[in-house]
Amino acid sequence: MSSLTLGAGFLGLISAFIFFYVLKLKASTKQTQRKNRIKWDRYIPYRDDTDGEGLKKESDDATFRND
Amino acid sequence: MSQHRALNTFGRSGNPVIRSAAFQKRVSANEERMSLDGAVNKTGILLFLTVMAAAVSWTYQGPLMTLISSLGMVVAAVSGIMTFGFYFFFVGWLVNPRPHNAPRTAPLYAIGMGFFIGLISEQAESMFPGIVIQAVSLTFFVAASLLLAYKTGIIKPTQNFLLMVFAATMGIFLTYLANLIYFAVTGSHFFVLTDNGTTGILISLFVIGIAAFNLVLDFDIIEQSDEQGAPKYMEWFGAMALVGTLIWLYIEILRLLMKLNRR
Repeated sequence: MSSLTLGAGFLGLISAFIFFYVLKLKASTKQTQRKNRIKWDRYIPYRDDTDGEGLKKESDDATFRND
Repeated sequence: MSQHRALNTFGRSGNPVIRSAAFQKRVSANEERMSLDGAVNKTGILLFLTVMAAAVSWTYQGPLMTLISSLGMVVAAVSGIMTFGFYFFFVGWLVNPRPHNAPRTAPLYAIGMGFFIGLISEQAESMFPGIVIQAVSLTFFVAASLLLAYKTGIIKPTQNFLLMVFAATMGIFLTYLANLIYFAVTGSHFFVLTDNGTTGILISLFVIGIAAFNLVLDFDIIEQSDEQGAPKYMEWFGAMALVGTLIWLYIEILRLLMKLNRR
């Protein structure tokens, strides 16, 4: 096994450890408290488990009487 | 007062009880919420399954294993479509995303892709010994670097970032699809995709860059799902997205290293 492969293997082990360790940490407030974040709930209907039938419209928040 | 006029006059309710009543009922009353730890554990499980399947197809090479690997690719593609949906330019969603399928489809996806990458990795290793360790290491190095950049806020995914990455990913997907059809008809690949020259290497670097940006989007999905108290199955969904992108990144890095070794 060449020294390049050994070095790469060592780098890979350290990177994998860092990857799994950092993945468990919360992101910084600089990342989470931005106003221009992607709104994933527009694309991924994870609040609903029945293909959209339970998704509420904005106007369903409260009931108004039509005069 | 009409409903819309009332909304315009008073605005939307700021009362969290009113605003998120449906959400609370669906998520907290009936289901456990996802956590970052859970998503990391599921990522570990899926990577383990991928490596195990890859080890089997690496060890037992032959026509039967080639057939199993091809079937694995089909299973992985169907699992991916059943979970992430299928979107096409100017047409929209041909299949809607169904994240609640992820606990069932994610292991199938990981095993199917594992058989496939085991086969191509063994072929690459027989041509260039040591290349697989280098590719795996570089994949984790890129992933760890981007994860650090994401968590610290150096890379901030925005709506424009999403559109750019999505458009580039679709472009790559269409190019690969056209290449597959061209291969089926003529028996050869597009020259620019397999070229060992500067153009081929620049294209590989571009594709690796887009795959790496997709990782940032996966991190953002996992982070936001956790913040918003998404249902437990989103752990599998996030893990599946992450493992899928890691596998793509690994394949592209392997191709790049093969091109560099052939020069």
